[in-house]
Amino acid sequence: MTPKNNILIGIIVALLVVASYNVDANPIEFIDGLPNLAIVVEEMLHVEPKYIPTAIWAMFETIQMAFIGTIVGFAISLPLSMLAARNLNSKYVYAPIRALLAAIRTFPSILWAILFVIMVGLGPFAGVLAIIMYTIGFVTKLQYEAIETIDSDPMDAVNSIGVSKWQLIRYVVIPESASHLLSQLLYMFDYNIRQTSILGLVGAGGIGFYIINYIKFFEYGKAAVFMLVVLVTVLIIDWVSVKIRDKYIIKSQHGMEVTTK
Amino acid sequence: MKKNSMIKNSSFSLISTKKIIQMNNIWTSYDSKIFVLKGINLSIDRGTNYAIVGQSGSGKSTLLKLMNGMMLSSKGTIKIDYVMPDMNDKKFKKMMHTIGYIPQSLGLIKNITVLENILIGALPRLSKIQSFFKRFPEHEIQEAKRILKLVALSGKENRKVYMLSGGEKRRVAIARALMQKPTILLADEIVSELDHVTAHEIMDLIADAQKRMNLTAIMVHHDLQIALEYADRVAVIKEGKKILEIGVEGETIVDFQTGDMSAEEIMEMYSDDSQK
Ligand SMILES: Nc1ncnc2c1ncn2[C@@H]1O[C@H](COP(=O)(O)OP(=O)(O)OP(=O)(O)O)[C@@H](O)[C@H]1O
Ligand SMILES: [Mg+2]
Repeated sequence: MTPKNNILIGIIVALLVVASYNVDANPIEFIDGLPNLAIVVEEMLHVEPKYIPTAIWAMFETIQMAFIGTIVGFAISLPLSMLAARNLNSKYVYAPIRALLAAIRTFPSILWAILFVIMVGLGPFAGVLAIIMYTIGFVTKLQYEAIETIDSDPMDAVNSIGVSKWQLIRYVVIPESASHLLSQLLYMFDYNIRQTSILGLVGAGGIGFYIINYIKFFEYGKAAVFMLVVLVTVLIIDWVSVKIRDKYIIKSQHGMEVTTK
Repeated sequence: MKKNSMIKNSSFSLISTKKIIQMNNIWTSYDSKIFVLKGINLSIDRGTNYAIVGQSGSGKSTLLKLMNGMMLSSKGTIKIDYVMPDMNDKKFKKMMHTIGYIPQSLGLIKNITVLENILIGALPRLSKIQSFFKRFPEHEIQEAKRILKLVALSGKENRKVYMLSGGEKRRVAIARALMQKPTILLADEIVSELDHVTAHEIMDLIADAQKRMNLTAIMVHHDLQIALEYADRVAVIKEGKKILEIGVEGETIVDFQTGDMSAEEIMEMYSDDSQK
């Protein structure tokens, strides 16, 4: 431990105390609140099974919203990422696109949802639009980063044949980054289902709408049914995407590993 | 070797001049401080096999990258059929498909098949719509299969490239270059990492293709022995300078720069250079 490190740790601790004071973070309140949690849990145990079909239907709507949002967002991201990749474009192309993407990313999905509820009214469509925007901001960044890590040797070799830029993208960039793109698509779908589950909080459709309303009226037993369905769905999707990843993506990446000495 | 195909393909070269590549006093650098090539002069006759040898870091790969326009020289002139190689220049871009370039790393696309890799050589001949939908005309597919046979890879066309051996990968890279229907073939250390037998198989294959298609081959080698065996002329590069240009005439090695020299002297000279 150098004196410099001690000072740094001291500063961090001081900041922690000041910040906690500013946000009223009081551990005693937390401990006092524990019995309340017990009450909620106890209420939640009174699950009302007759709500299960409604909950499943609401979850199905949520999945569809996430699905449309992910696919459309991904389809828009792909050409954008080709324009944002530094190894494919000049500064005058990628710099403005990157600035736009950074601006899109500053909004979390719930803020996009509020914006679209104002624009197109309450309902799932606003939620879908929010997911599309969020996916564009996020996935494009992942994609152009994947494109920039492509080995420059095949690119140079194919470029020296005198192909057009479109041919280069179609025949080198996409095949060489396909496994990354697929894994990002899965990851984003997985993540978007979780996100879409809460968009109902601002009236943008999906299962969150039910959860927030039951909680508002202290009907924890009903809310619990819906939360349980979210939990089970997320676990299933998680499990499925791990399987898909193992089967297709890991295999092809292993193939690439074998070839790069 | 079949003479008839040679006649068919060589009709073009009869009207062109003898020299296909000329480099005059070429200087070049990567970071504008140290010159990697220092005043290289060379001229290469059409249809010949020209080899470049030299120690690691002497500038051999750089020399090839200048010839295909991937890099520009800081000083001096390069002419390939009277055109300055520069991949950002429209005129040169149009003739890039006539130069087959096999980089030291081969530059194959690993997770697509052998046939798909070879067909990439035909891309400059495809229309926008054909290339968008990956619709290669039937005659191109037949041509690819013919070349596949030529490089002894028939039956492996649907293998993914990452599953191939080192020798097989080199054959794919050669096939992709031949698919371009090139007039010039640039190959960077294509046999350096191979065993003696495989190296000769690959070199024989290139020599055969060269005669069939009237190619000018410019090949970088690590090994002077193999260079002398196959090349009409061998340029020896040391620290960015061409220190020798030699060839074999009959049984003796001829120095084209300073007159005759015995094979022993040159071999000795070279082995002194390549001592690490
Ligand atoms: N992209 C680069 N940026 C900076 N310097 C480079 C680059 N590529 C090569 N060099 C330098 O230029 C010099 C010549 O490199 P070059 O690759 O032409 O050598 P080479 O003769 O092909 O060597 P080898 O036999 O190892 O392939 C070396 O000193 C190398 O460090
Ligand atoms: Mg090299």
